[in-house]
Amino acid sequence: MHLSPRSAASLVVATIVVGAAPAIASAVSTITISGATASYPLVQQLAHKYSKLNRNQVAFRIAQGGAQVGINDVAAGRVTIGDVSRDPLPSDPSGLDFYPIAKYAICVVTNKSNPLSTLSEAQIQAIFTGRYHEWSQVPGAGVTGPIDLISRTSTAGVLTNFKTLFLGNKSVAKTAAEEPSEGLLAQQVANDPHAIGFLSNYRADQGTVNAVGFNGVACNRANAASGQYSAVARFYEVTRGPATGAAAKFISWIDTSRAARKIISTQWIPNK
Amino acid sequence: MTRSAPPLAGPADTRRGRSIPARALERLRRPWPDSRAGRTLGAVSLLACLCVAAMVTFVAVRAWPIFAHDGLGWLGPGGSLSTQIETMLNASTDAPASAYRLHVWPILYGTLLITTLAVLLAVPLAVLSAVFIVELAPGPLRRAMVPVVRLLASVPSVIYGQIGILVLVPFVGNHLITTSQRVALESRVQLTGAGLGVAVVILTVMIAPIMVALVCEALGAVPSAWREGAAALGVNRLRAIRALTLRAIRPAIVAATVLATARALGEAIMISMVSGSVFFAPAPTDGVAFFYEPLRTLASTIIDNHEGIGSPALRSALYALALLLLFSAFVLSVAGYLIKLPLRRYGVRA
Repeated sequence: MHLSPRSAASLVVATIVVGAAPAIASAVSTITISGATASYPLVQQLAHKYSKLNRNQVAFRIAQGGAQVGINDVAAGRVTIGDVSRDPLPSDPSGLDFYPIAKYAICVVTNKSNPLSTLSEAQIQAIFTGRYHEWSQVPGAGVTGPIDLISRTSTAGVLTNFKTLFLGNKSVAKTAAEEPSEGLLAQQVANDPHAIGFLSNYRADQGTVNAVGFNGVACNRANAASGQYSAVARFYEVTRGPATGAAAKFISWIDTSRAARKIISTQWIPNK
Repeated sequence: MTRSAPPLAGPADTRRGRSIPARALERLRRPWPDSRAGRTLGAVSLLACLCVAAMVTFVAVRAWPIFAHDGLGWLGPGGSLSTQIETMLNASTDAPASAYRLHVWPILYGTLLITTLAVLLAVPLAVLSAVFIVELAPGPLRRAMVPVVRLLASVPSVIYGQIGILVLVPFVGNHLITTSQRVALESRVQLTGAGLGVAVVILTVMIAPIMVALVCEALGAVPSAWREGAAALGVNRLRAIRALTLRAIRPAIVAATVLATARALGEAIMISMVSGSVFFAPAPTDGVAFFYEPLRTLASTIIDNHEGIGSPALRSALYALALLLLFSAFVLSVAGYLIKLPLRRYGVRA
């Protein structure tokens, strides 16, 4: 048999394609997910457990990208489920169904050398909208000097929630630094004694920053679970139209099963 | 297809038993005729050109809505950039024309500022240390320095960013910035330590080793007869370096500067980590505090906002920034070429 390099190359490609075909054709249904980075650790644990319980029936492909990416991907039909870390907005495309899966608290955080125990809603608004410039204007502050606001880039779902829950939908002052991730925000607050920012509760719990109470209630998982701490936001699984098939089963498993509840309760708060 | 390659020596029947890919590989290993080699390699390099053209076209098409809204007006100043980006993000899928309003002057200025300052610092540093390594350092030291510089040149930028945010930013914030500086500027901008100064220092450290490595190679290529000639005329070492060696390697210095500038322009992660992440244009009139003021660059803005790439308006805006970066890389290499032209006559090519 006389074989040119070109036909050899096409043979190799053909072998790869034929070899991959059975994997595509099998009965495993694949759930594709993209979206919020904040809920990624939770969704990943849930998916891992779910595919263990339903071996050879379901497979997951999970990507991150941010809440807005999840919304756009699911609206365009690129993924089965979009992960979203904020409430539905009027600007979201129509025809999406939001299924709440868990709750998380948002904590205002300061540097460890400024162990503020609590702030009122009015104080937080005055600080983050730029009306207060100095820590001396804040009773109980452990430092003096200007206040350094550390916020998130406008794409962050946590920022949207923070504005709704703490600022009455007012905007954070324009002088604020806009960190692209929760990790960098935590690091900036840990670096700078004058800083103040906000994080989801499982980031604030990690001990690098001081979590400030809200209206007299300490910001932690227990207070958020008992309902005393009010600044609580939700994670959603979003589908285009009502969830069907494997996605519907997965979402109702998150909602009802004890295994899912156990995973959620490690760092987050079950929906009910 | 050309089939003129002679069969390899050896009985044909020993090859018959082999698998098909192995025989195909064997055919590829035979010496190629010039015409075939020329065509194949030509096709590969043409592919590179096609890739560049396709990428520029793609980015330009995606960025078009920004141009369609306001021509080249988006390069100028106007309004708050963070408000504009927020509007773009919230406009979601069916964005109205007003959502494409964008004025990128603060980040354009920030990019030019960081790059210029870092290159201005890096050029003398790099040239002087290269001259020391090649011309003055004792042998063992030179043999140790060259690999160390190469290693430094290949350190990933995220490591520099990490050192910046964990060490330099807190140091500047806690020890260099005074309370009076903070208070004086508090109504316009907050000084946290992350800002222009730290970004420029780290960027200089990042780009200088590339230049040192390139300049070292150029210095090595200067014919030793020239140096000997200078020594024979009684010129001392430092003067010979100034009058002869440095003049001879000018094209190489330009080439190294162009490469280093390109790396500085495109640096995203490190700058996103240490530059303070605020749309602010540092004002030289603020005195020393100028170096502590935060800013963003084109590349770091893309990194900071990539989560919003699902929103059509913001996606166009990020593509417009990318197009600007591509364009400046193009301008840079053309400028480098033009500067080198008159220097080539007696120079050492690099």
